[in-house]
Amino acid sequence: MFKHLLKLIWNKKKQNFLLISEILFSFMVIFAVFTFGIYCWDNYKQPMGMEYENVLAVNFTNPVKTTNADSLRLFYETVKRNLKSLPEVDEVSYASVNIPFSESTINNSMDINGKNIRQINEFSGEDSYPGVVNLKMAEGRWYNKQDGLPGTRNMVINRALKEKAFGDVPVVGKFLGDPAKPSERFKIIGVIENIKFNGDYQSPALAIYKRMDTAGYKWVSNMLIKVRPSADAAFESRLYKTLANSLNNANVEIEHLANKRISINKMTLVPMIILSIVAGFLIINVALGLFGVLWYNINKRRGEIGLRRALGATGNGVSSQIVWEAMILATFSMIIGSFFAVQFPLLNVFDLPAMVYIIALLASVLFIYALVLVCSLYPGRQAAAIYPAVALHEE
Amino acid sequence: MIRLQNIEKVYRTSTIETLALNSINLEVAKGEFLSIMGPSGCGKSTLLNIIGLLDAPTRGDISIGEQKTGHLGDRELAAFRNKKLGFIFQSYHLINDLQVVDNVELPLLYRSMSAKERKQLATEALEKVGLSNRINHFPTQLSGGQRQRVAIARAIVGRPEIILADEPTGNLDSAMGNEIMEILMDLNRNEGTTIVMVTHDENMAHKTHRLVRLFDGSQVS
Ligand SMILES: Nc1ncnc2c1ncn2[C@@H]1O[C@H](COP(=O)(O)OP(=O)(O)OP(=O)(O)O)[C@@H](O)[C@H]1O
Ligand SMILES: [Mg+2]
Repeated sequence: MFKHLLKLIWNKKKQNFLLISEILFSFMVIFAVFTFGIYCWDNYKQPMGMEYENVLAVNFTNPVKTTNADSLRLFYETVKRNLKSLPEVDEVSYASVNIPFSESTINNSMDINGKNIRQINEFSGEDSYPGVVNLKMAEGRWYNKQDGLPGTRNMVINRALKEKAFGDVPVVGKFLGDPAKPSERFKIIGVIENIKFNGDYQSPALAIYKRMDTAGYKWVSNMLIKVRPSADAAFESRLYKTLANSLNNANVEIEHLANKRISINKMTLVPMIILSIVAGFLIINVALGLFGVLWYNINKRRGEIGLRRALGATGNGVSSQIVWEAMILATFSMIIGSFFAVQFPLLNVFDLPAMVYIIALLASVLFIYALVLVCSLYPGRQAAAIYPAVALHEE
Repeated sequence: MIRLQNIEKVYRTSTIETLALNSINLEVAKGEFLSIMGPSGCGKSTLLNIIGLLDAPTRGDISIGEQKTGHLGDRELAAFRNKKLGFIFQSYHLINDLQVVDNVELPLLYRSMSAKERKQLATEALEKVGLSNRINHFPTQLSGGQRQRVAIARAIVGRPEIILADEPTGNLDSAMGNEIMEILMDLNRNEGTTIVMVTHDENMAHKTHRLVRLFDGSQVS
């Protein structure tokens, strides 16, 4: 019977072409949506790697005119001391402009372990940085005062970079950078757990964390402050005053890291939602189209259906034939569709894990089968309800 | 072979009630070739559909062979039609998207049988109707007479005991019609197939063993 249906469909390939392309098109759209969705979900399930509650992000215009390293350090240490004297403040760290959940990025490429690795995010923070955002060490240690001694060239990296460059082995004591260029060479002293600094739905990108030192103070314009849960709006205005005074009336902006997280998440969620809505409408359209075509075909095939009943098909047999035909058509479409879909992991088009594509592909196949099944069940039942005597009498 | 007792068929639509068949009592013996005649609309097709178990009578009983059919369900009826009955229609009812041999195989698809065996039987049936050289044609590439011969091959491929033919020559000229009639008569003579045929053609009817005339749903002779 299966072969018979294949033959029937094959001989009607011209009539079925439209239906096949319609299913193919929706399959590709669903595949895109599922890939995106599964990728986001996959990332969402990863731990954040840091704490953002009760962390304030401060942005200020750098007020210092001097270039003298010692006076710079003195100035910023005074600011920090003033802040820490506030009872609600637990910890403070200056940071590079690309603080978590900000839209700024600093990217670099590096030679590591014989590979040129690109798109490495470069963060800077002070020795107190882990205490502010509660980041966790996977291996080794974070910076301390010793790392500031002249001639020390240490570096902390994140787990993603470690795995990309070295695989899953201990790396503390190994080196980063081209051995031919000593000025770009660093010793790894620690690996931190990944931080999803681009929000919940983005994968933790590759990252190195530099120790912010005197040279960095020259350009610094951001700091992160861990505060007590009791810190309220009144505290924030006191903080603002303290900052404004200490920073010589610079422009100061205080934000909650938790809010920044929400707004950066929207950058992923909004397109996701729009895409889903568009896809949803498309699927409804396709479903109605499918339903209509199947329905139309059944009315065109009343004679055939009556004949099959006369020759020994049961009502259920006729109905399942209709469903099977639709499923076979869907299979044709999806074989073609899968050919296109597997190009994405094969050509590594978007640099997503292959697993994401595979799961999305399987989910799309199931989804389309379910859609086609639902759309063909009712026409199938209608076909079963055709009176053979009446259908054979027409024409 | 076929026994109809007090068959009555009423078609009801929202506006009108048609008594298509009125107390028909009919017995067809095994191996008999029976023809049914009557003016258009007198209920010939209705009667044939009822014998073919494609339609249920409003009242009355039908037995085919030893089998009473009144209580049979959809599955059993389908199996019964598949094994015992062969159908031939005025408008052939071939599936245009299937090649001749696949059309002929159709009844066998509803039995458990290997593809090879099906093809074998279909080829044999086509040989019997003289169409061995048209096996891979599509129905649209055949003449009317050839199409009807395909339909006959399809009707006999499953070796049914009874063939029901509704105006099998109605769409054909007299030469072609005679050809078809010859095939049916051979079948009846050589294989002992019981045939019930509706026809408008007196000449055809007189070639059969017995003629039943209907008028307005009633049997008049
Ligand atoms: N499905 C139906 N619904 C309502 N009335 C029907 C139906 N089928 C047949 N009839 C009516 O029943 C009567 C008998 O119809 P039938 O088709 O048996 O005639 P027939 O003798 O085969 O005619 P013809 O020689 O034109 O084929 C007609 O009056 C017809 O209108
Ligand atoms: Mg008729």
